[in-house]
Amino acid sequence: MTPLEILALLAIGLTAGLLAGLLGIGGGVVMVPAMVLIMGLDQHVAQGTSLLVIIPAAAFGSFTHYRHGRLALRDAAALAVGGVLGAVLGSVTALSLDDQLLRKLFAILILAVAVRLLMTRRSAPEPREPAAT
Amino acid sequence: MVSSAERPNALLLAGIGLAAGVLSGLFGVGGGIVLVPALVLLAAMSQQRASASSLAAIVPIAAVGAVIFGGADSVDLPAAAILIVGSLIGVQIGARLMARIGDDRLRIGFAVLMIAVAVTMLVS
Repeated sequence: MTPLEILALLAIGLTAGLLAGLLGIGGGVVMVPAMVLIMGLDQHVAQGTSLLVIIPAAAFGSFTHYRHGRLALRDAAALAVGGVLGAVLGSVTALSLDDQLLRKLFAILILAVAVRLLMTRRSAPEPREPAAT
Repeated sequence: MVSSAERPNALLLAGIGLAAGVLSGLFGVGGGIVLVPALVLLAAMSQQRASASSLAAIVPIAAVGAVIFGGADSVDLPAAAILIVGSLIGVQIGARLMARIGDDRLRIGFAVLMIAVAVTMLVS
């Protein structure tokens, strides 16, 4: 990796984290297109890398919630049971798709996220936590 | 501790988790886009409880996806290490700034940027 690539990755990570903290929009939606368009990675590699990067941020965030008594472990466990099964289905499906097709499907996902962001009214002044999406 | 007075149906939660897991594995995102609104609307959770449950569920969901993608040689480990450093710093700064700046212009600006990115990805 060249020093320029290292700087670019640091900047991408910083931006993704910053926006997660500011908007509650998680890292994946920011990191994946940046890795594809700026770093020139395959869509599949960008997505796999994004999944790995999300883990520590989500772990830190949920630990903070847990320490403040805001996390019901039973809820998270029930979500995770279905979630792990879904993750297997989704990952295997993604890996079976052509890279270009997956990139276009991803573009449609972020269009939907953008539209939802535009339609969100100014939120009530309740404290929000960074979400690792 | 979180009040356990209202306990959402575990089957409903597992179903919401399933949908979020599919989205996460398919697109390399955490699944919070689906989890938080679904927990608020379908499981009647408060925004804060939904965010907390969502973040905790994302850990195993993303881990399973990362392992499967890693097995297919589709994870760039050195890039991931640098991104993790950057994102952990960014989250801290973002969470501190959030209280100070109104996020409406930022939200709209970001949405417009995302639309441009999506169009670029569609035509490239």
